[in-house]
Amino acid sequence: MDDMTETSAVSTHCPYCSLQCGMKVARKGRVGVEISAWDEFPVNEGAMCRKGWTSGELRGSRERLTTPSIRDRATGELRAASWDEALDLIADRVRALQADHGKDAVAVFGGGGLTNEKAYQLGKFARVALGTSQIDYNGRWCMSSAASAGNQALGVDRGLPFPLADIEQTDVVVLVGSNLAETMPPAARHLDRLRERGGKVVVIDPRFTSTAERADLFLQPVPGTDLALALGALHLLDAQGAIDEEYVAARTTGFDDVRRSVASWWPERVERTTGVATEELRELVALLAGADRVMVLTARGAEQHAQGTATVLGWMNIALALGMPGKQYAGYGCLTGQGNGQGGREHGQKSDQLPGYRMIDDPAARAHVAKVWGVEPETLPGKGKSAYELLDSLGDGGGPKALLVFASNIVVSAPRATHVTQRLESLDLLVVCDIVMSETAALADVVLPITQWAEESGTMTNLEGRVILRNRAVAPPAGVKSDLDVIAGLAERLASPIEFSIEPEEIFAELGRASAGGKADYSGITYQRITEEKGVFWPCPAVPQGEDQHPGTPRMFTEAFATPDGRARFLVQEFAGAAEQPDASYPIHLTTGRVLAQYQSGAQTRRIRSLTDEGAFVEMHPMLADRIGAHDGEPVIVRTRRGEMKAPARVVSTIRPDTVFVPFHWVGANRLTNDALDPSSRMPEFKVCAAEVLV
Amino acid sequence: MPESHRPDQPRKRLVVVGSGMATTRLIEELVARNATATPDGWDITVLGDEPVAPYNRILLSAVLEGTHRPEALTLRSPGWYADNGVDLRLGARVLGVDRDHRDVMLVDGTLIEYDALVLATGSIPTLPPIRGLVRMDGSLHPSVHAFRSLSDCEGLVEAIEAIDDQGPINKRAVVVGGGLLGLQVARALGARGLDTEIVEGGEHLLHQQINTSAGKILARDLKKLGVSVYTGARAVRLQSPDEPATPGLSGIGSVRVLDPLPRNPGKVALRLDNGFNLDTDLLVLTAGGRPSTALARGCGLEVRRGIVVDDQLASVTDPAIHALGDCVEHDGRTTGFVPPAWEQAGILAGILCNEAVKYDGSRIVARLRATDLDVAVLGDAEREITAGGEVVEVSNPISGSHRRLVVRDGRIVAATLVGDLSRVGLITQHFDRQTVLGAHEPGNLLMPERSGEEGSAALTLPDDAEVCACAGVSAGRIRACSSFEQARDTTRATTGCGGCAPTVRQLLGSRPALATSQKGS
Repeated sequence: MDDMTETSAVSTHCPYCSLQCGMKVARKGRVGVEISAWDEFPVNEGAMCRKGWTSGELRGSRERLTTPSIRDRATGELRAASWDEALDLIADRVRALQADHGKDAVAVFGGGGLTNEKAYQLGKFARVALGTSQIDYNGRWCMSSAASAGNQALGVDRGLPFPLADIEQTDVVVLVGSNLAETMPPAARHLDRLRERGGKVVVIDPRFTSTAERADLFLQPVPGTDLALALGALHLLDAQGAIDEEYVAARTTGFDDVRRSVASWWPERVERTTGVATEELRELVALLAGADRVMVLTARGAEQHAQGTATVLGWMNIALALGMPGKQYAGYGCLTGQGNGQGGREHGQKSDQLPGYRMIDDPAARAHVAKVWGVEPETLPGKGKSAYELLDSLGDGGGPKALLVFASNIVVSAPRATHVTQRLESLDLLVVCDIVMSETAALADVVLPITQWAEESGTMTNLEGRVILRNRAVAPPAGVKSDLDVIAGLAERLASPIEFSIEPEEIFAELGRASAGGKADYSGITYQRITEEKGVFWPCPAVPQGEDQHPGTPRMFTEAFATPDGRARFLVQEFAGAAEQPDASYPIHLTTGRVLAQYQSGAQTRRIRSLTDEGAFVEMHPMLADRIGAHDGEPVIVRTRRGEMKAPARVVSTIRPDTVFVPFHWVGANRLTNDALDPSSRMPEFKVCAAEVLV
Repeated sequence: MPESHRPDQPRKRLVVVGSGMATTRLIEELVARNATATPDGWDITVLGDEPVAPYNRILLSAVLEGTHRPEALTLRSPGWYADNGVDLRLGARVLGVDRDHRDVMLVDGTLIEYDALVLATGSIPTLPPIRGLVRMDGSLHPSVHAFRSLSDCEGLVEAIEAIDDQGPINKRAVVVGGGLLGLQVARALGARGLDTEIVEGGEHLLHQQINTSAGKILARDLKKLGVSVYTGARAVRLQSPDEPATPGLSGIGSVRVLDPLPRNPGKVALRLDNGFNLDTDLLVLTAGGRPSTALARGCGLEVRRGIVVDDQLASVTDPAIHALGDCVEHDGRTTGFVPPAWEQAGILAGILCNEAVKYDGSRIVARLRATDLDVAVLGDAEREITAGGEVVEVSNPISGSHRRLVVRDGRIVAATLVGDLSRVGLITQHFDRQTVLGAHEPGNLLMPERSGEEGSAALTLPDDAEVCACAGVSAGRIRACSSFEQARDTTRATTGCGGCAPTVRQLLGSRPALATSQKGS
């Protein structure tokens, strides 16, 4: 041990994706941290990708924000300010705007990277201290379609209803729109172990990705046609008599209508719609029909569509028809994206929800939560607008005049970003809490410097529904505070009727009480249990004293689904296709996604020197490159009805020739994307729109 | 066009004659537009002459082949129609239409009034002029089967599955007609173990869709699958063994030079106009159909090959009567395929709901639905060539493939793919979307796809090539290590997703352990 390492390593989790790899963090030198493997944590067993290994590099970086700043009205520049000055200013302007325009004049925008405690406090802060209904978060742009589908069909939304490692024990795993080998690399080890056991991997993606390299069967549909593929697969399964009729009769409702609805999706029709040859579809169906255990996993590729919910439901129907959900090592799951994508959607930062996955328009839910909060149920506002609709309504849009942003870089991550940026610029007050000067923070009137993962404690809920503990390993730099401090400080200045704690463990206990009896019941979980058990799976209700504690729920649906009658719902899905189809002016499909070395809007990862930042690129097939005269490495312009960007071409034969791919970690991709929304999840159609590509 | 609704008027009445796939889609589209539920919507009556709920007719050959359960054909249950307020009457045969009184009469005398009428009467199979096909009482000879409806299909399946103590009663079949349906049926019968032959009057198979060389390749493919093909030959007479022999018809087997199999004497003999004489147990008629236009003719609508409609899918004679699907003639063309019928159904639903839409023809993609027979026909190649289209083709009779694109103004306007369907999905996308392609693209589309990435190229990787994306490790750094373990511990390569382990082993020259990564298919 080198003598600069003064403290022993603390077990915590990676700051990035929903895999939440266990890692150890120790202080190194005066400001640095050292990351090491935490081999005992079961999800990643010590493995990490380079984002995790290098995650400590922002410590001590000049990029870190360490003092609040306020935009000077005279110069238009940001200037340093004290915390008191900054919070006073925000509170004064919030009060004035609400006095003139009503409570809903102030909106809150959260993120799927916030700890459960922060997400919970943020929802409570909006409803009680601000009294606004206008709160939503960037999780709408993540897995909301899978969430909506899970609630409709299974009665509950937990990304994976089983531990991730169950993948190793299944027979066939179907990955629909997931590139987990790049987006959460250590998860790919489970695929490899499955294959070593003789299991099969199916990957469905418009691009032949590193995940597809592991596939026994790879299908490459036209972007936006995954639903048609699902309907066609179910058609053939039924035609061949591969339906688990006993399961369908005993554990589900609605199959007859679904069965008839897929009678019109014969393979040649599917081929014409999806571009997937009938032979390949038949291979998929043969794999599914011949397997005892099938796992269907969706990710953003299937979900980020105007028909995202329908697409997920279409694939869930396959899992249900095969009798898989609730069976050991089988079923349907969603591979959530953001670090706390799961927990972030359970505790009330969503416009229509209260803690414990309770719905805000349910009187019983309001009464329960109001009681925990110590307020009257009538004082709680109702449902607000979804993320994109909220942003679209800001300022000039006729909606809220102030926006408080926590853990989100909207300018880079919102669809139709140029338009959204204009809306942000038209606000009377924009407050951004962040660890670095993100593109969104750069537009703000007030920027507040926030702690990063190693500097704070709190719980996260990973993609498996496992509640885990982020432990503080080092003190934050001077001048930096937690989101919890911001919330409490503003609540106090706004004369909130209740106090807001800044102690994570205390908040977690309250969160548990608020969630008790809800679908995502955390009331039996404590920090101590999480530490001892390396995470606890919700639901985990508290039990009366003296009784054995609830063990948590690693595997769901073994006996019943979370619907009122305990049965899963088959729901008929009609394929409509992408909202924007290619035409003579915009003849190419554009799809977007992530690369291994970057995370989400890149606010953190683009500032880490050890991670390659080559900037955005436009991936295209040689046939398309030849058609438009593009050359590898040379710039091309991608244009849609909403904006354009320029980036070097990356010419690869692994993408569909009618499709281009642009990663969204940089400003640009989302200037192009379509703001058409899914009717139930309000997910924008990030994954497909019509584009023109030229040199 | 329907008149607009006034509040004091009763709801408008829509009567649809025919309950096939086009009608099913029309009703679905109307239901999706809420047209059955709103006050200014439609009261809908559907009259189907078949006694069963609407089913997916185009999958009948898959049922025959045994790859599709007959129960999985039903498109919508009668309950669904009822739930959506649609009056579905099965087994309801229409006798005539009275355009002056705007009503239709059923054979049982029932009168049903309409404000708008849709004729979706489909097509009826053509009976080829073969003597002996129809018996004195007007019924088909018992060995003869049409193949159009579910009951036809059930009858044929029954005949195939009939056994006595000698085994299957029917061991041989002749399919009359070498079009798409004929090929599907023949393939299905062959797959069911029947000794099957096809008789096609044209010069080659699928002569309406493909050219001679493609047709020859197809015939060879079929032969490999055990189905013999007689082209350029018409069946002229069907004869039972117990009938008095016609002179010159007795030489059973003498001309069957193409048939390597020993033959049982058949129940019937089919004489061709080239003198061939085919023994068989079953005769299946698939020699095309023609638009069913009797009702339209009967009420004085203009009918040429089909019921002539305008861009509103309305009869050019009477705007209160629309037509849909196989019975329609639009712009001089009839189609006979489901996708265009469904396009028409979507547009007609819009028209009935006063949307500003019109029908301007359909792009046709015909795909053979039969195991191990690969045929895709996009558009009308001959017509497009005549219109100035240029042909790009790759033909390989030795391997049995023929691939042809017709390109006009950079767009694929027609295509024929026989024996090799690689890139069929992409070619169809380009055809359907009329993508303007580059000069090399049509040719490249017909070239073989590059088979994955190069296998063990690790040894030639330059030192700066990234080997482990998870940890960001170059080939050079791996080469600097002395063992796999050292590479793992010092560079963290292989510790993320684990996908680079085989490459790292190759670079280090160590023996590969478990194969953990293979390329996708």
